[in-house]
Amino acid sequence: MSSKHPSSAQAGVIRALPEVVRNQIAAGEVIERPASIVKELMENSLDAGATHVQVDLEEGGSMLVRVIDDGVGMNGADLMMAFESHATSKLREAGDLDHISSLGFRGEALASIGSVARCAIYSRPRGDDIGLRIENEGGRIQDPVDAGGPRGTTIEIRDLFYNTPARRRFLKRPSTELSRCLEVVQRMALGHLNVGFVATHNGKRNYDIEASMDLPARIRRTFGAELSESLVPVEADDGMFKIFGYVAPPRFARRDSARQMWFLNGRMVKDKVLVRVLKEAYRGYLDPGRQPVAFLHLSMDPALVDVNVHPAKAEVRFREDRRVFAFLLNSLRSAVAQTDMATPGEGLLRKALNRDGYVHHPGQGAIHDPGYLPRPSEGRPITEIREVPGKPYVGGGSFPVYGRPASALSEGDNATVGGGHAGLGTDAVGAGLLTDGAVDTLPGPFLQIDKTYIVRALPDGFEVIDQHALHERITYEGLLREVQNGSVEVQRLLVPEVVEVSRAEKALLEEHKDALAKIGIEIEPFGETAVALQGMPSRLRHPDPMGLVRDVAEILATTGKSPTAADVIEEVLHSAACRSSVMAGDALTDDAIRSILQRGKQLENDQTCPHSRPTRVRFTLGDLERAFHRK
Amino acid sequence: MKVLCDREKLREGLAIVNNVVPARSPKPILENVRVIVNDSSLQLIGTDLEVSVRYSIDDVKVGDPGVTVIPARVALDFIRDLTSETVTIDTNDNVCTITGGADSCELVTMDADEYPVTPTFEDKDTLTLQGGTFTRLVGQTAFAAAREAGRYAMHGVLITVQDDNLQMVATDGRRLALSSTPVQDVPADIPPAIVPTKGLQMFCRVIEDPLSNIKIKFGTNQIGMKTKHAEIFARLIDGDYPRYSEVIPTECKNSVEANTQMIERKLRLVANVTGDEARAVRLQITPGQMEFFGHSVGRGEAHAMMEIDYKGEGSDIAFNPDYVLDGMKNAERETVRLEFNDKTSPGKFSLGENYIYIVMPITVDV
Repeated sequence: MSSKHPSSAQAGVIRALPEVVRNQIAAGEVIERPASIVKELMENSLDAGATHVQVDLEEGGSMLVRVIDDGVGMNGADLMMAFESHATSKLREAGDLDHISSLGFRGEALASIGSVARCAIYSRPRGDDIGLRIENEGGRIQDPVDAGGPRGTTIEIRDLFYNTPARRRFLKRPSTELSRCLEVVQRMALGHLNVGFVATHNGKRNYDIEASMDLPARIRRTFGAELSESLVPVEADDGMFKIFGYVAPPRFARRDSARQMWFLNGRMVKDKVLVRVLKEAYRGYLDPGRQPVAFLHLSMDPALVDVNVHPAKAEVRFREDRRVFAFLLNSLRSAVAQTDMATPGEGLLRKALNRDGYVHHPGQGAIHDPGYLPRPSEGRPITEIREVPGKPYVGGGSFPVYGRPASALSEGDNATVGGGHAGLGTDAVGAGLLTDGAVDTLPGPFLQIDKTYIVRALPDGFEVIDQHALHERITYEGLLREVQNGSVEVQRLLVPEVVEVSRAEKALLEEHKDALAKIGIEIEPFGETAVALQGMPSRLRHPDPMGLVRDVAEILATTGKSPTAADVIEEVLHSAACRSSVMAGDALTDDAIRSILQRGKQLENDQTCPHSRPTRVRFTLGDLERAFHRK
Repeated sequence: MKVLCDREKLREGLAIVNNVVPARSPKPILENVRVIVNDSSLQLIGTDLEVSVRYSIDDVKVGDPGVTVIPARVALDFIRDLTSETVTIDTNDNVCTITGGADSCELVTMDADEYPVTPTFEDKDTLTLQGGTFTRLVGQTAFAAAREAGRYAMHGVLITVQDDNLQMVATDGRRLALSSTPVQDVPADIPPAIVPTKGLQMFCRVIEDPLSNIKIKFGTNQIGMKTKHAEIFARLIDGDYPRYSEVIPTECKNSVEANTQMIERKLRLVANVTGDEARAVRLQITPGQMEFFGHSVGRGEAHAMMEIDYKGEGSDIAFNPDYVLDGMKNAERETVRLEFNDKTSPGKFSLGENYIYIVMPITVDV
């Protein structure tokens, strides 16, 4: 108890760390797990100009990560330097940082890896007949020896963290580490076209991309055909920036951003600006909180972007971020609008089948006992199926047939177009299809279910449309277009509608009077706790003046103190459009249905309602075939 | 109770009553028709508590007077599909047997005492006019009444009687129709009445001969009407009707006279292009000529010309074509007059001797 610090009288406690420990600490920044090694080594390979990169893994990469490339290779002197920290071939002076075009440049990776694992590098440069091999075991570097092998470089990393057990304990199960490694490989494969990639695990081939595959083919190989076939291309070039890639329909959006990939000059980045611009591009089509799926290559002069802000180089800083933002938003927004926003029926169909007590037996193959076949007619509470009056083959009436005479809509057409699968229980579906293929003339007939959903036959299936959602979108787009053109048609009122509001609401309404007038809502103060509505947008179908004013006041109150006119407009338009739209529960005639569909077709987007709910669900013949186990 | 009557007359009466009887009601008894047989006639009564109808059929053979309450829709459907000339209605305990020839049905009856009391028409202090005149006035005004939620008072037609004039007004806040007709022998102190359009439509439905007279009785909370066979009562809408007289322009800077049919045709023409979403058709008026112009962002634009009688400096105004067309359909004259002050003030169409139609313009901010 005499002294708490017995060593305090001796030499100073602060000492310089040996280099190995320095590198081990530095490794913590860059090397967290096998996947980080995969990333660093693959980047080196790509920087070395490889056209084919193979990644071999064992036990999720913790036992072995081997990266084999056919790049330029290294000679003896290079190999001696390779494990030195801050030694790199990619950068020579500080000025070079301003225009980095290689993936790596810090010269830390191999030194860091070498300090926490057993490494071996074999390399044969172009033109040399014989290669060299060098080994590094936890920082003890041996002299290179001659070795034979293919052209290029092979780096083997074994027993990761064998000398730092603390870190080793943080590794997850091999399957988890493997999936992280594969993710890296996949990203590389999507980011570096013209390069072939192979990944193996415990000797089994896991992933294979040929050098000749283009981006959609790579996406297809990586994420499947459904996604790759729904993609819409993006391509733009304004001289300064160039973007190329694909965006997916909103329905593919996920809670995580694993399938949102940005490549900046070939480098995978996760940048806030880019994430935001994509979110903005999907605005109105996507639930907030969901991440859209997109694969985008952005290229620009390396001098215009600073990639040296983050050790993993995931974040970047644009010299002209506003211009980048505007450029990207323009090109992305139009592509997003072109995506097919209908929800595919497959998932729904599966749910419907499950509801009917259908049990899926895996391993039972495609052909099931007929006993398991779904029987849609049983127990399904279809409350009311009503065929809309005026079906084409009902004689007389004033049913206008678009595109072809009523007599052509006969049973014969059912068979040809429906391919024999049109038997959906009602003759409404399957008749009057678009054999011509060219323009969708909305021939009908239409089937209205529960006065809410419209079913319509398509050449390759059928779709179910939510009438309210679609009409809401139509009204909204119309209003928006008028607002954007600065010309809202205002239906003036004969007698001003006096609406009682609170004092606070009245103050708000008065404050935003001009913004409201721009969107066709003309309000004048009227006493202390009321306003008089003088006019409202003529587009509103069943205007409810009192409800409209109250909605507006509510929106003004909830959107905060000083909402911009644009915010108010958007919100007000949404609720105004909702208020005046055909409601679920309105019985519609064929003509009304056709008119709604036709007006929807003229819009940029008729696939989601303004609240980004889908307006339609599409069932393809494939879905039906699957459901009936024909396939 | 036992009665024999003509099947077709009974069917007609039940059809009329069924117009009022609700298909589904929280009070199931309202889904029924009350059948009363007295010494010489058969009465059918239906009500939804807003509108009630009492329809009488004469020329019936009464076996046994009495009262019963039977399901209205079922009775109508069964009697409509019978093929016999005559029908017998016979009640026994809780069962009502309807027989036509060899066919019959037995309907469950309900307690007649539970059926709500419906008013009967008293011939005192009534207003008399021709059925056709009444129908015409309703047709010229009721279409303009409000349908959307809110402003309950505007869901009806305001009927006033003043200075030997019966006047009907309807508005939904964007257009207003006003039509009147002279009447004689007006009872004193008739209060203004806001009559629900459904009630008025029922009134018109039971007017069989436009030349025969009908009687109207104004009450404090209901209005009654009597034709040869039917008595109908409608509960009045309680509320303040907008003070419409102030918005009817008296003196106007611009006055245009034009052919009714031609206006209708040109409006339709232009409205084909503007569609039913963008709803403004602009009228550009110059001496001797009126140009119709409409455009829709997604579709295009349309122009139409017609000759008019106009002396002035030229002006323009835009309307919702649907609203104008609604008025033109009911115009009594071959030539109508449009008067207005400027593009933001009401347009007044004179469509007949005592028929005016006000349409508020659509303005476009630029």
